[in-house]
Amino acid sequence: MKISNTPKLTLFHCLNSFKETASMFDGCEARTVKMACSSMTKDVHLLRAFESGADAVLVLVCSDKGCRFAEGSIRAKKRVEYVKTILDDIGMDGRRLNIFNTAAKDEGSITNIIQDTIVQLETLGPNPALNRRN
Amino acid sequence: MITASQKPIDEIVDLIKPYQKVLVLGCGTCVKTCFAGGEDEVAVLASALRLKFKQLAQNIKFEEFTIERQCENEFIQEAAIAIGRNDAILSLACGAGVQAMAKRFEKDVVLPGVNTTFIGIRESPGVFTEECSGCGNCGLATFGGVCPVTRCSKKLLNGPCGGSRNGLCEIDPDTECAWHKIIERLTALGQMDNLKTYIPPKNWDTSLSGGPRKLIREDHII
Repeated sequence: MKISNTPKLTLFHCLNSFKETASMFDGCEARTVKMACSSMTKDVHLLRAFESGADAVLVLVCSDKGCRFAEGSIRAKKRVEYVKTILDDIGMDGRRLNIFNTAAKDEGSITNIIQDTIVQLETLGPNPALNRRN
Repeated sequence: MITASQKPIDEIVDLIKPYQKVLVLGCGTCVKTCFAGGEDEVAVLASALRLKFKQLAQNIKFEEFTIERQCENEFIQEAAIAIGRNDAILSLACGAGVQAMAKRFEKDVVLPGVNTTFIGIRESPGVFTEECSGCGNCGLATFGGVCPVTRCSKKLLNGPCGGSRNGLCEIDPDTECAWHKIIERLTALGQMDNLKTYIPPKNWDTSLSGGPRKLIREDHII
């Protein structure tokens, strides 16, 4: 059985805050989850992403005042903060989960966020709840 | 409603660690409303526990299920099959629900996953406040619908105490002064005369201080 060391990333995003490009996920295996609005970010979905093998989870949302549904980004941030405390409580390290305000057209910033996360995973290591067998 | 908050994860981990198959059982009424034990909280807790026990290399199977009310036999029955499949029940109901489950399934282990806190209301989104102590002798008519037994830090029946500051309690500035609210309400209702009557010391026999209570309605007993 092959052991994979490629970091696994799950990215939840609002329709308006992210558009995938070919090179964005260089150096990692990524899953993206599109949401109509970041207010659909649910704590259980974030946790299940880790259960499904993610080493890190990113949530990309519009700016706080730029949400078309008024409070989506703010709600998403609150839920991410809550799940970070759960991750700390269970020994998973809340730093594996992060949220950023982005705009779909700003590919450079999004690529930097993803690549910074991959670098951070070198310190955090793989998801401690899962072995690395594929 | 009865409010509750989830126990710390480490405490829950210690409770369930001796078992192989655990049913995380939610309650869809009071504790759902205060985000402690409804279907969503069951899903989050079960997921967190799976992640925790995978790190501990302990293989515990978690099943998730939520019934409308754990404090009533009619609803409890719906969980019987799931309970039969598991070694222990981690109940996210209030203390009444946990004990109702333990009575109904007397050979099964029932563990509390939340700390029951108080009888209260949702003051605003995400904020719940205690409103009733269940003292067994309601005096809300006298106090304009504001309970000094529960909401006054000093439980004064003949207030105010003089320590009110801008409508806030001197004991805890985050708490509204109940007597400030009482006077506001009675003024609005034109019932300030209510406060001219001396309220004698409260008889606590009807409260939990009088021992465990039982409510009997003969007309419903066959």
